[in-house]
Amino acid sequence: MADHHSTANERRRHKHEGPQKHIVSFIFSLLLTVIAFAVVAAGDVNKDFIYILLVTMAVGQVIIQMGFWMHMKDRGHLYPIIGILAGVFVVFTMVIMALYWVWW
Amino acid sequence: MSAHSHIDGELPHEPERATLEGRNKVLGFWLFLGGETVLFGTLFSVYLSLRGQVLDGPPAYELFKLWTVALATFLLLTSSLTSVFAVQALHRNNVKSLINWLIVTVFLGLCFLGLEIYEFIEYVKEGHKFTTSAFSTSFYTLVGFHGAHVAFGIIWISMLIAQVKRKGLTVVTAPKVYVASMYWHFIDVVWVFIFTVVYLMGKVG
Repeated sequence: MADHHSTANERRRHKHEGPQKHIVSFIFSLLLTVIAFAVVAAGDVNKDFIYILLVTMAVGQVIIQMGFWMHMKDRGHLYPIIGILAGVFVVFTMVIMALYWVWW
Repeated sequence: MSAHSHIDGELPHEPERATLEGRNKVLGFWLFLGGETVLFGTLFSVYLSLRGQVLDGPPAYELFKLWTVALATFLLLTSSLTSVFAVQALHRNNVKSLINWLIVTVFLGLCFLGLEIYEFIEYVKEGHKFTTSAFSTSFYTLVGFHGAHVAFGIIWISMLIAQVKRKGLTVVTAPKVYVASMYWHFIDVVWVFIFTVVYLMGKVG
């Protein structure tokens, strides 16, 4: 009986992970932020390279926030993913319009 | 109502998903966040197309100071982590720890908001007013909209703290806390793009 109880507890603990994983995600977010700020503060680097690097760092942060902290990576998140991707599609269209069309 | 059947009994394993009402709340909130993505996307695209139009006002690379932005980023990122801890406390059914982490989250949000108000006052002193140029108007609209979302989140989470204190954790209050933490993460995601696109790219020129 006691044995059965402890395995149930273990399963429970397995499902709701401890804080360690989130602290690792937090450190990764900080790292991405520091890299982005450091490259800009350093200056004198190729502009296109900085832009691409900054966007990459931002996308990395979004994956940490939405995937891990908002549990999007977990099972049963198909509709949330469709909803957010629909929004992202509209945003991409508008940003591309703003960047390449308005001041053509 | 099925939503209230658990109130006096033991809280189920994932209380935010235990009832259909709770699951619908979470799904509905995701769809709302999809709409919010579009709202901020329009503001970003307006800013991107107008950011070069500075007229007589100071340009972005002269105006922005990296240390305030870095500090604000650190505050908001940390508050995102503390709201994760709040949801973990919710899953452990630990009301006291949940309330404490929510209070820390609200406090960090208030610090962020204070820093942003200080920053805007400094900009106005340097001649960067709302009506100075197309750049300044689109800047204040975008960043101000984000600040307004932070302010709304602070009021929302404060009221949730009061409610959880009075009613405890139930299958009715748990989805509210979960959804509020989703909102707070989303606000942080928007800020990631603001400090990247507005401040850092503005500094690069």
